[in-house]
Amino acid sequence: MNAQFPIATTLKYNFPSPKETLQLHQLPKHFIELSLQSLKQTKHQQILPTKKTTTQFSTHQRPQPPIPTTELLTLTPNPTTTNIVAIDVSSVKLGETKTGILLGVRGAVVWKNPDHYRYLRLGPFPFHITRHIENRIRRLYHQNHAASYLQENSIPQAYFIQSRLTTLLERWIQSSIAHTTHNSIILWDGSLTAGTTETSVSTMQELLATARSNRNIILAFSKMTRLSLQGFRLTDLIKHTPPCLLRIKEYTDCIGPLRLMGNVYVAKFTKGSFAFRMDADKQLPSVRVVDAVQNLLGNDLILQSYPETLRLAHIFSTFTAIEVLGLQRCIIQKSNLKVVTKLNMHRLLFGRFGKGPEG
Amino acid sequence: MRLYKKEGATVQIISFPNEKVRKGDYLAIEDSKREESLIVQVIDMEYANIPGILEELLRNCNGDSSIEASIEGEDVDPFEVAAHVRYIQDARLLICKIRASTHKGKLIPTGFALPARSYARIRNISVSELLPCPSDKNGYPMRLGEIAEKKHLDVDVRALDGALNIITGKKGTGKSHIAKLLTLSLISHGAPVVILDLNGEYVRLGQNTKGEPNEFYSKIHVLTPKQNFKITLEQMRIRVLLNILVNVLHLPGTSAREFRRIWHFLEQKDALTIEELGEAIKNWRCNQHVRDALFSRYYTLLNSGLFTDNPAQATSLEDSLDRVRSGGAIVLNLQNESTTNRHILVEYVLGKLVELLTTWRLRAIFLFAEEAHLYLRETYWDDIVTRMRHFGVFTTFITNQPDTIRENIYRQVDNLFVLNFTNEHDLDPISRAARVDACTVKSIVRDLLPHHCLVLGKVVNDFPIIVKIRNLNVQMMGQTRLFFLNKDLQVNSIKR
Repeated sequence: MNAQFPIATTLKYNFPSPKETLQLHQLPKHFIELSLQSLKQTKHQQILPTKKTTTQFSTHQRPQPPIPTTELLTLTPNPTTTNIVAIDVSSVKLGETKTGILLGVRGAVVWKNPDHYRYLRLGPFPFHITRHIENRIRRLYHQNHAASYLQENSIPQAYFIQSRLTTLLERWIQSSIAHTTHNSIILWDGSLTAGTTETSVSTMQELLATARSNRNIILAFSKMTRLSLQGFRLTDLIKHTPPCLLRIKEYTDCIGPLRLMGNVYVAKFTKGSFAFRMDADKQLPSVRVVDAVQNLLGNDLILQSYPETLRLAHIFSTFTAIEVLGLQRCIIQKSNLKVVTKLNMHRLLFGRFGKGPEG
Repeated sequence: MRLYKKEGATVQIISFPNEKVRKGDYLAIEDSKREESLIVQVIDMEYANIPGILEELLRNCNGDSSIEASIEGEDVDPFEVAAHVRYIQDARLLICKIRASTHKGKLIPTGFALPARSYARIRNISVSELLPCPSDKNGYPMRLGEIAEKKHLDVDVRALDGALNIITGKKGTGKSHIAKLLTLSLISHGAPVVILDLNGEYVRLGQNTKGEPNEFYSKIHVLTPKQNFKITLEQMRIRVLLNILVNVLHLPGTSAREFRRIWHFLEQKDALTIEELGEAIKNWRCNQHVRDALFSRYYTLLNSGLFTDNPAQATSLEDSLDRVRSGGAIVLNLQNESTTNRHILVEYVLGKLVELLTTWRLRAIFLFAEEAHLYLRETYWDDIVTRMRHFGVFTTFITNQPDTIRENIYRQVDNLFVLNFTNEHDLDPISRAARVDACTVKSIVRDLLPHHCLVLGKVVNDFPIIVKIRNLNVQMMGQTRLFFLNKDLQVNSIKR
């Protein structure tokens, strides 16, 4: 632990306490230590700040194979009081140094109680990703999530490191919530697909099992999907009067290394053109999923077919441009970095005709 | 602070929350490599246009909508990034005007320097660095008041010499207070002053706040028409009287010619009295209409009560001016006078002043004219600011209606003392003053606090400065009479 930064790592936290039997509670401490360690590597370097501050990384956008048949399930909102929890994590590239890249990661949890919303924001955590830190991230990652096919000695690109850091925090928050919450609907951003570089099958199984054991139901909403059926985008298939679900049946569990751990639905909760892919735990009977969705409809505000709790989680985790500037300033001050402007080769070579990306 | 942009004479500077800058402050943008700097003045402050600010505010607002109001939460921010975000969020954009530049430490009144944006250092500079403080040895210091750094602003009273000044501001902001301050400063340095006192505010300038005589008591001479200020026809020259008759009482040209003949007739007879004038008009052989016209003007003069045939009752303005020759003020109290009488009196006084100045019986005079549009005829404005200035009449106009002063007068103004104005229409005429740009006036003046004044012109070496006008130990008189403040007194007096 680097003592240079006067940061109290334990007293200030108010994370939802995970089960003691799990070692996951070690993660935030490791996460901060890793962040501090990584920033130590930036001392007195030059930084090329990222100008496109709105480009943020999001997981769960992997193309999926087509699914054969559908079943329409009409829904009736059930106002029986049910707690709803939503989780989302965002990361953003802050800039580049000679030895690596600078990232910021933040997670958000939003609880919908009967009369109000409550949020917990974790972070932002700044990281300086260098080769040295990559190895540490990989080790920490594998301690928590045994990736299914990634080789230890493979060299992950910055894209994957960013994605992996994001997933690391996201899975930890999801796990903590699954352990500490009971009889609730847990909303995730993304899908229940495992076997990816970020999420192993065992990790996903464990998360779903924990949630089930605490009588929680995880519903994962994807804002974008490339799944199609009979030449139509999946989310375009649903033409029925909302609220309704379109269950995609008889879909294969395995596509190469990928495993779909949930049943896939198309959800259309309100009038309008918006519909989303929704994944629900495959181990749960369809009727329970429908009940959970009806409870969601009866307890949460639904705007444009999207649950407000999850929308808020997304909003609270996302980095605004001003936060990116704030993070950059924080890192520059803590590590005494010198900001330099990266040459735009497109502009340099082609003058006004250089339309390539800047920075 | 960081230099952001320069457009023409406007410079934009990013200022962060821990930097104390206020409107009106001066900043030096220093380029140490080239040994030059730009002197700029902050005329406005805005929020810096930071990307994502709207999203940030929307996300963190606790608005009135049911959802937003019901969101509460907690942030775990181990790296205290929020402080950095707030720091950026609260960054301000300072809109500054270039006032001067320096090269190798020498002040140049134009802003020719363009400091490097990448490394230029920006620092606050005090007014004392711009304005040399006059002392009794090297000038005639006049303490105007307090400036931003809790320091006093001393200026050289010589800046009022030969100058045309305007004091303006909305009602109740302290225009008369500044006029009194200038008057007393001029008197203390031995200058003669004539005040055209419309509301009787200056009559107790020789008394302190307790009503006791102050150091200026013997130097203030109040002339109240019909009481201690009456004139004989002989004192009034034909030229002045004809001006009054033609310009104030609108006597037609033909009648004016007849009047001139009558005057010469009386002069030859050595009978220039108001009574003889009446008799002469009565017996004068002329057209009946002319006679009627002359008679109507004669009765106006007679009924004004300003004229006397008794030389013992008459006041010699020459003698009064002699008494203030080495420092003092003649206050012409116009408070209870009719419009016509005011016009007659002002015409007489100004005519007399020009006469004395042209014959070098007077070296120069400082004239303070409050709400001059109420008693100064149209043609006199140009006369005062051009011709009479050359004779040595240095005028200070005091008004709360800036549009009553003509644009050409603003263009020739040497010193401008502007107090608060809220209405932009009021600021339009002032912003035409050649001594300053319109943006400065409009931006600074609307935010001036009571008793704070924006001083422009020669008196501050053309560096616009905001000053809190100092208190004076004189009876102010100018305060508005209030009903509710005196209600208890009224009740008491009724009981008695």
